[in-house]
Amino acid sequence: MSRIAVINLATLGLLIGGALTAHLTGHAFLVTLATKAAIFALAGVGLNFALGYGGLVSFGHAAFFGIGGYVTGILASHAMSGQPLTTLPYTMNGTNEMLAIWPMVLLVSGLAALAIGALSLRTSGVYFIMVTLAFAQMIYWFAVGWPAYGGEDGLSFYVRNAFPGVQTMQPLSWFLICAGLLLMTLGFTAVVMRARFGLALQAARRNTQRTVAVGIRPFGIRLTAFVLSAMITGLAGSLYADLNRFVSPAMLSWYMSGEIMVFVILGGVGRLVGPVAGAMLFVTMEHLLGGISDYWQVLLGLVLLGVVLWSPGGIVGMLSGRGRGHA
Amino acid sequence: MLLFEQLLNGLQYGMTLFLMAAGLTLVFGVMGLINLAHGSLYMIGAFACAVVTKATGNFWLGAAGSLAAAAMAGALIEMLVIRRLYSRDHLDQVLATFALILIFSEGARWLFGSFPLYLTLPPSLAGTVTLPGGLVYPVFRLGVIGLGIAIAAGLFWLMHNTRLGIRIRAGEADREMIGALGVDISILYTLVFALGAALAGLAGALVGAVQSVQVGMGEPVLILAFVVVVIGGIGSIGGALLSALLVGMTDSLGRALLPSLLAQVMPQASANTLGASLAAMSVYILMAAVLVWRPTGLFGARA
Amino acid sequence: MHDAILDIRRLRKAFGALTATDDVSLTLYPGEIHALIGPNGAGKSTLIKQIVGELRPDAGEVRFEGQRIDGLDAAARARLGLARSFQVSSVIPDFTVLQNVCLAVQGGSGRSFGFLRPILSDSGLTEPAGFHIRQVGLDGREQIAAGALSHGERRKLEVAMALALRPRAFLLDEPMAGMGTEGAGQLVSLLSGLRTEAPILLVEHDMDAVFALADRISVLVYGRIVATGSVDEIRANPEVRRSYLGEEA
Repeated sequence: MSRIAVINLATLGLLIGGALTAHLTGHAFLVTLATKAAIFALAGVGLNFALGYGGLVSFGHAAFFGIGGYVTGILASHAMSGQPLTTLPYTMNGTNEMLAIWPMVLLVSGLAALAIGALSLRTSGVYFIMVTLAFAQMIYWFAVGWPAYGGEDGLSFYVRNAFPGVQTMQPLSWFLICAGLLLMTLGFTAVVMRARFGLALQAARRNTQRTVAVGIRPFGIRLTAFVLSAMITGLAGSLYADLNRFVSPAMLSWYMSGEIMVFVILGGVGRLVGPVAGAMLFVTMEHLLGGISDYWQVLLGLVLLGVVLWSPGGIVGMLSGRGRGHA
Repeated sequence: MLLFEQLLNGLQYGMTLFLMAAGLTLVFGVMGLINLAHGSLYMIGAFACAVVTKATGNFWLGAAGSLAAAAMAGALIEMLVIRRLYSRDHLDQVLATFALILIFSEGARWLFGSFPLYLTLPPSLAGTVTLPGGLVYPVFRLGVIGLGIAIAAGLFWLMHNTRLGIRIRAGEADREMIGALGVDISILYTLVFALGAALAGLAGALVGAVQSVQVGMGEPVLILAFVVVVIGGIGSIGGALLSALLVGMTDSLGRALLPSLLAQVMPQASANTLGASLAAMSVYILMAAVLVWRPTGLFGARA
Repeated sequence: MHDAILDIRRLRKAFGALTATDDVSLTLYPGEIHALIGPNGAGKSTLIKQIVGELRPDAGEVRFEGQRIDGLDAAARARLGLARSFQVSSVIPDFTVLQNVCLAVQGGSGRSFGFLRPILSDSGLTEPAGFHIRQVGLDGREQIAAGALSHGERRKLEVAMALALRPRAFLLDEPMAGMGTEGAGQLVSLLSGLRTEAPILLVEHDMDAVFALADRISVLVYGRIVATGSVDEIRANPEVRRSYLGEEA
């Protein structure tokens, strides 16, 4: 087994094993913490799909995280109140079934990414970073101002949505749902990156001119990657909404975009489990340091600065002894 | 009359944005660096102004303090952190400067707490003045407009008529060349960064004086300043000025007009909140429209 | 005579006051190597960029197998079979040799939206790729990262990537640049054999290579073609000797 495979298994083992141990020793709170890490990891896996493999530095992925959250919150609140979402062209009711909510989340975040990506990908470099940030801000302000779903105060829905045959309020079951989705998404990413699409995507990142010269148009490849990436992050947003049973514009804020980026970078850009390692470190630091000092983010800032300046490959890069991730 | 007042507000807001955007676009144009911590320098300027004004009772000293504190903080982070980032890709720059935001914001919260500070303006600036046409307008806001025009003129003069400016522009054109000319690049870069920081600090002081001074005040302005830089074209001072005014006007007019327009079709309270957020969105819609038309902004030469 | 594969008619491109391409007409016939020579700054790169579609000409036509292609983007032209190599080696350094050539096969096939089947078990990619790798003599090096290849090997890899497009014409931009004497000899014989696959428009500074390879030569000076002819005609042309070969003659 290669060193990187060992790191992959160890990272995932630590997450899942940690949650199981916490459950068996009766630390329900730590199970919930692991759930949060799994959800953040999923958001990071989504961003890594575009950023790590495609070189698309999106500083606006909170938009999709928040959209996933709001779709979930809105459907759940309508299910609770019994009011249909719309009656035109036909009646559409809310739902509290995760299996019905997730496809809707994927659809809406995918469509949003299609529109945002089609415009943003006309630009590159710094323009792309700023433009994705600006689109996320646009959606943020919309959520703040739209009074129907709580505006600035956010939207609570009290009961976690349902999954067939599972008691979702039970911490371990809920963790396993989230971890299961994370594993499936990691598998999907690994498969796609070894297939034709992944080859073209990574080639376009490394050498756009060469990629064009063999007859591949990067725009369509990148747009597809951006949409898939957003759908994954949107799904994470849906789970995050269910974790807290609450959504608010904070999920859409620029700060959230920054955090999702931090998960990816702490762990290792373009590494399959990089975002998982990064999210675990982030949640652990938040929990441990946040307990000691209210100003733990100063330390987070210092760690992040240290990683960027001295260990740009992140945790996975450091462990594997080979800088930044690649094909 | 209302429209005229809103135009002046837009002009004043645009000038503040210009002070922010000028530093960002200079630093990007010359050093190729995207600096998220620019918002923190704005915040540092505002806090410095608040502290100095409170200690001395003199707003002018406070404003000078904001320039000095932000310039010093700028020079310091340039020497400690930023200069290691020039050769890195934009992703590293975004993350390292994001880390600086975390450090500065939490540091400021630790020093000053989470409650906003308020500044008292000296009587000479706190009053209003009646403009030709009968509009009563705050002196301070007029002063901000005047100061903005003066600084814009000063920057153009600096860029085109001084040795420093010529070196900066040479640096934009060809980084290796100015090294070959024997200009000490690292000092030049520190100077440019400190200059941008000072302008951001001044903007923070000016906004802090009319609103409030608090942790996190820098980032919303930072993002708008990014929009200004993108619309204007990265590296272009003239583009930044034009687009800052465009963004300032769009925002102010949107805020003033949209709620009353919306009130025609919905209750006033909802119209107010929705109108405000649509006004905030309109700036980004403007940006999207400009980029569809010109992907490198109004005056941008290259991506 | 056959119809030209590549037929450039009165191409024109100006940057401000500088006319980089001034009424250039050029043809490439099946089976030939047509060398384009000229001093630095003569506009060779600008001309290449217009042919491959990276730069839009101000006027004139580019015809490829009788069909106008000046409206197509660079990717579409590559897919029609216009394969190019770059002045500075341009491969994906952290892809293996095999992955690089697979990428080119995939590009030529026009099918990049495969999400599930791994490249390495996609015989539609690996078989042609393996064939072209053997064709340039890189067999045994398939699993080496392209960045770890020697300069000469990287040149060969580029040729393999060009071949993988099943080209109708090659556009090789200074393939000999940076090659040592021994490597140059190998590359010349490799390129010489290529003309049976498809004709080559060869931009080259290495006059030994040009005289060894070319069937016809065009001389570009200040954006204009000042002469076109056989190797002997060009060697004998007084204007060429004066304006370009002067220092060597």
